[in-house]
Amino acid sequence: MAQQYNNPFRNMTIISPRTQREDYDHYCQTGQGAKADKTPFPRKVDLWFAGLSVAVRKNLKPMDLKKEKTVSIISGDIFNTDGWQAQAIMLIAIAVDGDLEIVLDPRRMMDIANGLAAAGVPHIVKILNEGAESPIWNLSDAFEKLLQSGPVTEEQSIQDQLAEALYDL
Amino acid sequence: MKLISAKFQNFRLLRDLRLDFSTNDDRKLTVIRASNESGKTTILNALQWALYGDDALPNKGRGHRLFPIDWDVPDGRAIPISVQIDFEKPASESNRNQTNRYCLIRSVEETTEGLRQNSKVELLELTETGSVPIPPPLEAQISRLLLPPHLREVFFTDGDRALSFIESENNNTQVKNAIQSLLGLDVIESALDHLKKTLAGLNRDSKNIGSDTEITAIVTELEEIDQKVEGLENERDDAKLQFDAVNQSLTEIDKDLEAALVKGDQEELNRELQKAEAELKRIRNQEEKLVSQHSQLFRKQPLFRDLLAPVLEKSFEKLDELRDQGKLPRTTIPVLAERLTDVTCICGESLDQHSSDGKRRREHIERLISESQKSDEFQKCLTDLYYGSLALKPIEPDHEQHWIAEYKRNTIHRDELETRRKELEKALAALEVQLEDIGDTNIQELRDTKQDYIAQRDSLNHIRIEHERELERLKERQRSLTATRNNLISKRRRGKGILARLEATRDTDQILKNSYNRITNEELQKVSRLMNKLFLKMIGADAEQGAIIQKAEISDKFDILVYGPNERALNPDRDLNGASRRALTIAFILALTQVSEIAAPNVIDTPLGMMDGFVKRSVLKTAVQESSQLILFLTRSEIKDCEDIIVDEAGRIITITNSAHYPNILVNDPHINEPQALRCECKDLSECELCKRRTDVEVQIQQES
Repeated sequence: MAQQYNNPFRNMTIISPRTQREDYDHYCQTGQGAKADKTPFPRKVDLWFAGLSVAVRKNLKPMDLKKEKTVSIISGDIFNTDGWQAQAIMLIAIAVDGDLEIVLDPRRMMDIANGLAAAGVPHIVKILNEGAESPIWNLSDAFEKLLQSGPVTEEQSIQDQLAEALYDL
Repeated sequence: MKLISAKFQNFRLLRDLRLDFSTNDDRKLTVIRASNESGKTTILNALQWALYGDDALPNKGRGHRLFPIDWDVPDGRAIPISVQIDFEKPASESNRNQTNRYCLIRSVEETTEGLRQNSKVELLELTETGSVPIPPPLEAQISRLLLPPHLREVFFTDGDRALSFIESENNNTQVKNAIQSLLGLDVIESALDHLKKTLAGLNRDSKNIGSDTEITAIVTELEEIDQKVEGLENERDDAKLQFDAVNQSLTEIDKDLEAALVKGDQEELNRELQKAEAELKRIRNQEEKLVSQHSQLFRKQPLFRDLLAPVLEKSFEKLDELRDQGKLPRTTIPVLAERLTDVTCICGESLDQHSSDGKRRREHIERLISESQKSDEFQKCLTDLYYGSLALKPIEPDHEQHWIAEYKRNTIHRDELETRRKELEKALAALEVQLEDIGDTNIQELRDTKQDYIAQRDSLNHIRIEHERELERLKERQRSLTATRNNLISKRRRGKGILARLEATRDTDQILKNSYNRITNEELQKVSRLMNKLFLKMIGADAEQGAIIQKAEISDKFDILVYGPNERALNPDRDLNGASRRALTIAFILALTQVSEIAAPNVIDTPLGMMDGFVKRSVLKTAVQESSQLILFLTRSEIKDCEDIIVDEAGRIITITNSAHYPNILVNDPHINEPQALRCECKDLSECELCKRRTDVEVQIQQES
């Protein structure tokens, strides 16, 4: 099936809020001499996708990127090789939108994904920096914990975010 | 004579050290507690060097460095080295309560190339008003006030060297020399020498008693024999001396070799080091791969499949519904299109476009295809999605492909490698320390040197045997010629007087030799009896109780012999255990010093090695009782089980620590940059911050790792 796969997001752009640009530079191994223990994500798209997945898992509200200054992270052509990521984006879009026909609208699907990723990346960055170990271990432990917890409802998600915001204050 | 104190400056490890010895008659013992490589043997050598100069150093000081090995001298300047010994001696034999105090200072400067210069000895009498220099010749004064040089090795010894009295192949020579050195028979020896010259003179005189060519020829031959005998005896004695020296060197090199082997073979250690380094590199590479694999866990499907599972379930439900409805996969158009390429429909009717029915049917199928194409894009997309995303479907909870399971496998592997890497790093550090510790000791070189010594010793032994055989032959000839000459002389009138003088001289010579031997044998018996008494006491052997060792004695041939039940001879070298062998040699040394009646300190390095329990305690107690002043260098293991005796008997207990033993052996950093013997002020046998050591278990674990 993978060989017959047709990437719906080719020629599109994965974007993020400009405020997150440094996070992509800092935590991805695309830079020179990067050490995986400190920069756990092999590629920028992996941080973006992790942000997207965390946002979905935590039932976070997508960020409205139309109100944000954005930067390009990478071309959607990147999914030409990792087809499962594009399919995951489509499945997420179906789950979020509720309408199967959304699969015919790659732009909309990408907007949903970019919005969710922008909402999830700050959570990831927070995880990376919090904890006694190096970022890779902080992240692994946080994912382990997240996977062991159950699905999050919208109400719970809001409560969690409020609690985190209060804690940060 | 008693030692009061000693101060060492830059003598090898003894950069700046002062030792105070107990001079209390009720507490005669001084214990210098020090582990291996803390300077015990160096102190022993330094004391002897101060008293007797370079002759007292190993190999008579040749090639024996005195300055600290790591000394870095700017501008090639020489290093000042000195040892000062304060000692006391009774004012006179009749008044032993009043003592005079003296100070001996030996100093020298040594370059890093081993060149010694400005050697100086000072001997001062310490008085209430100050110090008075003792006039030269200082060697004779030192010998008079302290200890004659020939007694040095009896009073200053170590447990290993002392063993040579019973272990050496020619131990009887050593025992004989040791006993004779105590007797002070200089007068008899010089009288014997004088008589020898007199005999030679009388022999020459006998040539002039007539024109008898036979007598002249005999006397000439006798003179030649005398010269040959003297030459051969000198060469034989020289060979003996050299033999003893080589033997001593062999004992020392054996000790060095043993110590080096304990530390480890340099080549073997280097091989181990290289192996450990290669293994460490391999593990570090594996670790890097695992870190990379760990990082890949944030890129691959399992993490996101598991993270998104609760949400994607909804999407999959919708797709499954379509599949259940038969809308997925999209198959209509391909099937219909395939039919058009054929001439027969699925139902079996003709699709021949030349027939009207066939044409009608084909148009119908083409219409169906056109209608399907409207929803084709959507369905194709969903079909692709449905089948393409099967791998994103949630899996069973306990499935091994869950991200957590993969993460745990990676973590366990990383932890294992980290543990192994840390172990290897420790092992490497330990190996590096061991190698550093060995320094330039080359075991193969030591073995080669040992072989050279053995060859030298065998050659010297051969020379000695050859010379003795030749001497025997010459003396036999001498006896025969002497008898002929005496017979011929007696027939001459003038010859009778010369013959009488010759006989008188020979008789005197014989008397002196007998006296010499008798005195020697009498002293030998005294030493033998005392040695036996001390030895049996030390090992707790009671002949009446049927002990295995019944008696020890020194034979009239100066062999140390040990007997079991029924006077059965035991070989001390082979039949005694290590503790008994050491006890026997210490009993011999104590007996020698007792019989000599010379009041001097017994300074013994590691006397209690290889001993434990009763024998160790008993040897220590006996040594304290039989010495006028006893200075022992003891390791902690030697002290073990004897703590109470030491605390009761010792007037001084000093602990010496080598700063270089931090961090492997010492717990606390002494904050000294260079290796140095340090004295701490521990009370009795306690531990202080300076000398506190790691437990044996800790050291063992570290070495094993």
